[in-house]
Amino acid sequence: MLKNVDFNYNLINIYVMTYKVSEEGNVATVYLNGEIDMDVTEKAKEVIMPLIEAKKEVHLNLKDVEYMDSSGISVLIESHQQATENETKVVLKEISKSVLKVIMMAKLEQILNLD
Amino acid sequence: MSFEEVKKFKIESASLKEVRVFAREVFKKSTIFEKHTDDLVLALAEAAQNIVKHGYNNQPTEDEMKIIIKFDNNVLSMELMDKGKPVVPSNIKPRDLDDIKSGGLGTFFIGQIMDEVVFKTTKINWVNHLILTKAF
Repeated sequence: MLKNVDFNYNLINIYVMTYKVSEEGNVATVYLNGEIDMDVTEKAKEVIMPLIEAKKEVHLNLKDVEYMDSSGISVLIESHQQATENETKVVLKEISKSVLKVIMMAKLEQILNLD
Repeated sequence: MSFEEVKKFKIESASLKEVRVFAREVFKKSTIFEKHTDDLVLALAEAAQNIVKHGYNNQPTEDEMKIIIKFDNNVLSMELMDKGKPVVPSNIKPRDLDDIKSGGLGTFFIGQIMDEVVFKTTKINWVNHLILTKAF
């Protein structure tokens, strides 16, 4: 079953973050789009955490994430830790160049599941 | 080439996008910044985020933060001024690399990107005055 949920997060009329979720079997893929900073991390967690709590294997597609700061990285860390506690996993897919650079700066490439 | 750009921002998480837009515009002034723009924008935005998050505990305020981006003698400086909770520089600790937590990550990024991170002790009309510098 394919389920799409679109959410537009408007901020000072500048596009910041949108997402789409598709579920197939036990895998939920969250397509994040735009810029992930402190202003949108709670929303990102609201999308990701329930999927992890439902013991879904969560794929975060980061192809269209143009910017991620330490708050965004904290979402990745917390998601990874929550998934481990729930005996499932979070896999980062199609990581954009700019996000990969920040993940590597944080020296998390060996910790998070990068695909 | 030298320049100085100044802008004030509301202290709220929604301003972080505006800070990034401002910085990206400033760094278009010279191709010297081209390869460094993403890093410099990240460092400035992390410092601005620290003001919102730690200086004001992400609480609503009428205060503003002032940001100055200067380039002179091949040295870039980004200054952030605020009237939030006074920063005690010795209490600022970047993340321990072996500690898989998000706390202190922004400060760690700033340290990785910039050459020098200094809290200026002589301030006029501001409580905190952070100066980030990088030589080109």
